[in-house]
Amino acid sequence: MATKIYDVVIVGSGAAGGTMAAHLAQQGVNVAVVEGGPKINTRTDFNTHAMPFEFPNRSIPTMKPGKQGFESERSRGLGGKSQTWNAVAWRMSHRDFKGKSIEGAGEDWPIDYPDLKPYYDKIDNEVGTVGNYDGLKDLPDGIFQPPVPMKCSDKLVMKGATKLGLKVIHVRKSTLSRPKGNRPSCHFCGNCMAGCDVVAKYNSYDVHMIPALKTGKLDLIPDSIVAEVMVSKENRATGVRTINRVTGEQSEVRGKTVVISAACVQSVALLMMSKSQLYPNGLANSNGHLGKHFIPHFTGGVQVFLKELIGSPLKADEGFLDHAYLPSFMHERKRDYARSFGAQFGYQNRRAVGWARQIPGMGKNYKQAVKERMPAVFTFSPYGEKLPDAKTFIDLDLAQKDKYGLPVARRTVTWTDNDMKLFKDMTSWSVEILKSAGSEVFAVGDTPMTNHELGGARMGSDPKTSTVDANCCTHDVPNLYVVDGSVFPSASEKNPTHTIMALASRTADHIAALMKKGEL
Amino acid sequence: MAEGLAEERREALKIIGAISATCAFPFSADELYGQQAEHEHAAPGKSAPMPPAKYFKPEQMELLGVIAGLIIPATDTPSAKDAGVASYIDLVVSGNPNLQRTFSEGLPWIEKQTNGRKFVALTENEQLAILEPLCEAVDQSRINTAGERWFRAMKSLVADGYYTSRVGMVDELGYKGGSVLASYPECLHEH
Repeated sequence: MATKIYDVVIVGSGAAGGTMAAHLAQQGVNVAVVEGGPKINTRTDFNTHAMPFEFPNRSIPTMKPGKQGFESERSRGLGGKSQTWNAVAWRMSHRDFKGKSIEGAGEDWPIDYPDLKPYYDKIDNEVGTVGNYDGLKDLPDGIFQPPVPMKCSDKLVMKGATKLGLKVIHVRKSTLSRPKGNRPSCHFCGNCMAGCDVVAKYNSYDVHMIPALKTGKLDLIPDSIVAEVMVSKENRATGVRTINRVTGEQSEVRGKTVVISAACVQSVALLMMSKSQLYPNGLANSNGHLGKHFIPHFTGGVQVFLKELIGSPLKADEGFLDHAYLPSFMHERKRDYARSFGAQFGYQNRRAVGWARQIPGMGKNYKQAVKERMPAVFTFSPYGEKLPDAKTFIDLDLAQKDKYGLPVARRTVTWTDNDMKLFKDMTSWSVEILKSAGSEVFAVGDTPMTNHELGGARMGSDPKTSTVDANCCTHDVPNLYVVDGSVFPSASEKNPTHTIMALASRTADHIAALMKKGEL
Repeated sequence: MAEGLAEERREALKIIGAISATCAFPFSADELYGQQAEHEHAAPGKSAPMPPAKYFKPEQMELLGVIAGLIIPATDTPSAKDAGVASYIDLVVSGNPNLQRTFSEGLPWIEKQTNGRKFVALTENEQLAILEPLCEAVDQSRINTAGERWFRAMKSLVADGYYTSRVGMVDELGYKGGSVLASYPECLHEH
């Protein structure tokens, strides 16, 4: 049997891969999406509403008994991390794309907000984004469904922030506040990150890929761990070599164009594993920059009890987790570091009762104190932007192999002077805002923790210092693309997924246009 | 596809218009949330049966239960002892060598404070007289002895085990699990 050759083979089915797949298929391009994890059913397979006591160790597994999925970083399931994300949807602004030009630190993107705006609009229209039209210069408005009311806790913290002259806004999320197509609006159960079983929250499988299957142009190939991107002697990507997740059987998926959207660190790792005579140091790594410029967001967090809510009746107010946001304000102020931070409001589910350990005392008074504080727990999570540095990078741990025999991706993160100044400032601002709101502070994160992995295959105009060009095409191989968080040359402080989806949509248009011209 | 997009643009425009004009959303609740009726959540599930103790001996399990019940006693809801927290502690400690060390030093330390009697045979006041100073030391981060190290771990495990149990989470704290709400409850407090 002749092997089918797809127009485009996409590795990974998350927000990036799923968006691209749909946008390409809708333009008549034959697409295969290769996913390491299994086919799942969003509506039946997740432990969306389970409680901790249903499990002896009180840890709720992602999937229901007998359902496969989300077993490792290399093997999640159709939809990837978009199944378990929190759906925060910011647009980046000129300030975020051109940080180096503006303040002399970090790196500029080769594109700017006007390049991505039409694609952000398209994504808003497709996925449904809730938000308020705030008219902020550095946090551009999109096309919104109405926002969801703020929580009592948010209003208290907002009051505290307002006293300090700071602006708090409604969160923007790809979770519906109004029905859209066959998706209902959110019913506010607060289990967003356990897999939304009604698909009120966007995931790339149900919202992008399943509808795109109707075009007949899209094949989903689950259970296939990609071990290598194959490149011909003529320097063309020809497809991917896969290992079956269940049987271990090796196979190939061939295509005229290959796109890697395996999530930041895994995309970089896959390129590093794809060594050949042409690319002995890893694919698309002729300049040695692959894996460098790794710039994950860092967060800390301050946990408090809001005094006004201590002893109030416990309400079903988990909503869709965080309902409010503190946009960056330090960009506009005098400070002794570059870049800034924004802060998310309480996105932790009330099932997370670990704070009870922190309450002093024992006996009946202790028990009473815990009960009174249950409605008052609030976690403030500032997110800061890390600048690239030489000691923070992604590489392969060749000594460690996973169950598929593939080397394990390794992250090395160092906190620079700039990072620590920013971290300390965002922590002290967080404490000050919460105190201004009337709080018992009980935990202050004193060490930066990474989240939202970005960079490692950065975008740039100069092939000597970047991995992909402004269209997400690798400088080294003309028909190999990387589309996900790894291409971010600078991270901003904003949750990145909306930007990743806009990039995916833009790259899909770029590839489809080249294909129509016969250039790919 | 083109038709779907056009429809979505109309929908978006309707909403933009509504917001810029009035800052309000002139839709009736039924129109907006009509699709909620079909989705219901089951009541909070049953507690998983806890496996039999595999690390602690029966008399140690009894001791852990008694101490758990002193840290979180019965009120109008059951105690940590009656919520079966000792089994949770056994499950966690059996898989954690550091905690095994802490408990293997801590439990004998406790039994040395009793003038030769068994801790579980003491009166409640006598038991509290041993535990409360440990609790106070831990609260003030004065952690020096094997007893204080153990109490810190013990209290954390009791709190975790109790407040993640059905008794602790549902009966005591009143958490009912994710609800299905037709609309998000607007905060009407004078914050």
